[in-house]
Amino acid sequence: MTSPTETLTPASPRAETDTPGVRPRPGKRRRRIRPQTLTYVLLVLGVVATLLPFAWMLLGSFKTQGELLRRPITWWPEDPTLENYSQWFTSLHIDTFFFNSLLVAVVTVLGNLLFCSMVGYVLAKMDFPGKKFLFLIVMVTLMVPGVVTFVPLFVMVSKLGLVNTYPALFLPFLAGPLGVFLMRQFMTGIPDSIIEAARIDGASELRIFTRVVMPLCGPPLATLGILTFLTSWNNFLWPLVAAQSQDKYTLPVALSLFSTGQDATNYGLLLAGSVLVITPIILLFIMLQRYFIQSVAATGIK
Amino acid sequence: MLSHKARKVAVLGVAAALLMTGCGRDAGAPAGAAASAVPIASGKATGTITVWAQAEEGAALPQLAKDFEAANPGVKVNVTAVPWDAAHNKYQTAIAGGTTPDVAQMGTTWMSDFSDAFEPVPSEVDTSGIFPGALKTTEVAGTHVGVPWYVDTRVVYYRTDLAAKAGHDTFPTTWDGFKSLAKDLQTKAGAKFGVRLPVGEGDSFQSMLPFPWSNGAQLVNEDSTKWTLDTPEMVDALKYYNSFFEEGIADKSPATGAGAGEAAFVNGTVPMLIAGPNAIGQLEKAGGPGFADKFSVGMIPKEKTATSFVGGSDLVVFKKSQNRDTAWKFIQYLSQPEVQTKWYKLTGDLPAKQASWTDASLSGDAKLAVFGDQLKDTNSPPAVTTWTQVGAAADTQLEQIIRAGKDPAVAMKELQSTADSAGTGH
Repeated sequence: MTSPTETLTPASPRAETDTPGVRPRPGKRRRRIRPQTLTYVLLVLGVVATLLPFAWMLLGSFKTQGELLRRPITWWPEDPTLENYSQWFTSLHIDTFFFNSLLVAVVTVLGNLLFCSMVGYVLAKMDFPGKKFLFLIVMVTLMVPGVVTFVPLFVMVSKLGLVNTYPALFLPFLAGPLGVFLMRQFMTGIPDSIIEAARIDGASELRIFTRVVMPLCGPPLATLGILTFLTSWNNFLWPLVAAQSQDKYTLPVALSLFSTGQDATNYGLLLAGSVLVITPIILLFIMLQRYFIQSVAATGIK
Repeated sequence: MLSHKARKVAVLGVAAALLMTGCGRDAGAPAGAAASAVPIASGKATGTITVWAQAEEGAALPQLAKDFEAANPGVKVNVTAVPWDAAHNKYQTAIAGGTTPDVAQMGTTWMSDFSDAFEPVPSEVDTSGIFPGALKTTEVAGTHVGVPWYVDTRVVYYRTDLAAKAGHDTFPTTWDGFKSLAKDLQTKAGAKFGVRLPVGEGDSFQSMLPFPWSNGAQLVNEDSTKWTLDTPEMVDALKYYNSFFEEGIADKSPATGAGAGEAAFVNGTVPMLIAGPNAIGQLEKAGGPGFADKFSVGMIPKEKTATSFVGGSDLVVFKKSQNRDTAWKFIQYLSQPEVQTKWYKLTGDLPAKQASWTDASLSGDAKLAVFGDQLKDTNSPPAVTTWTQVGAAADTQLEQIIRAGKDPAVAMKELQSTADSAGTGH
């Protein structure tokens, strides 16, 4: 409850120092500043509320199990320990799980970027009988929840003899209806004249796709990339079922495996693991944030 | 990671999909009962087996597997650890996809869910001297399809310092005594509530079962063909349970967050709770140094009997196993009393074999000794496939009794009719 007062104090003096300097029409000026200050206060409150759980996670990862179980809760670790982290790095081989997660996520992202844009291009820019119907089918599969296809998918993968291999972890996710939809919508907006010009110049369809259309698709590709990466990185149930030995487990599976027992949870380990799992995601987002916001805005306008 | 809700949805979906794909299964074969056990081949164990075990067990099992490999040259035991909270899904899909391991650790309440996929236990596996309550969890439709590995039972944890303050030097053994202790803790020892009793969470009804069982109630009849949920014994036990809430001795809406029960126990606001053996460690951690001397455990209070809930894990061999002889030999090895004692020292899991309890590490500990006594009188929900459904309906009825003042007799009548229409799967 200290945050609102903290945020109020730096904001209000500025309002006061501004007004005497400007002098004319002080009343009007104040009326303009008030709502702005209020907006900032609300925004800061929103940010604090959003960040609070993350702060709890980060601080909690340095606490002992005893401190985490105590009531009333403590915010600042009384007796900070690196035990939770060192456990992940020494006895639990987090590097293996990290590698698996990264491999699966990267391959899934590349697959989606390639296949979804190919299908999207065909559905957006080529004419052939049954195109509308094909697009409808893609849209319908978007409505089917993943849990319904979960068991049949697993049976399929196991009949292919792929259980407990890396392909089992990424093969089913290399293309998805959402990605196709996203790419098709964006590509529909690319003027036909550009493509026709390339065709007149004698470019093959593949060349048009790779050299003309793809370079224009930066924003939706960034969105698709981030969304796919996130989904793959956070996926829990599929890798749990498809990987049958520990060396193929991904981070979320490992996190659940080591931190939660039958009716006892090792909270410190869980929090430290969560910090390690989300750090790459946050870094990725910071790096790609510009494209991400651009593309959300761009697709929003369409 | 998936959110809890999403995972619940996923579980439902998997279950639904399994139901759909499972329709045609087993059309010709009679269910379980007629299946006879194939004897284990004599001679040394050979080849490779895969074992799936959950969390801590999966982490510790390779140490015992090494001993087994040393005793049987050429044998290789591959252990895969599976997260507890999703293990049920994993077994479900593995069975559907035909990718089951040779040996697996099953929660005792899961036995009936998957029993079709398990091999009946061969007679060579010695199950004598296993706590009878634990052995009962492996019996599905008259056939034993698993071997108890370790056991878990619920006892009453109480604060000795506060009980002394309330004028109780010994832990009561009767229902009346238990209630008066709870009341005295509240009135004389400054506790906010006398005891923490589960209500309104998943499995509340299951956690409450020690009271009906101790009053002579049973959930199903002798041969598990009919539910017996509206018996006077059941209703009386619910009235007794409900009286704690009516008289304000137990909280109608206890805090359910992580560690809430432990925290209230440690700070003395709710100085009694019913929990399993690993609460000892949890409470000692939450309470800090010296807290171990401030609490103790007592057996479930007695009305007609003092019967508690038995849980834990069983070991099973899947029918699809390519090396079932070695798989059973590994289970035989894990069932030896001295191996069970060693396992206790590695993990803290309580041995299913009574002979292991004579070891000083178990019999010398006053708190664990209570668990040893309690394990001699235990019960478990029936191993029938409809129990999950009936248990969920029972949770709702229990919540209505406690929070909305519904008459226990009426609630149990309704539960009985729900259960009757669900049947027992026989």
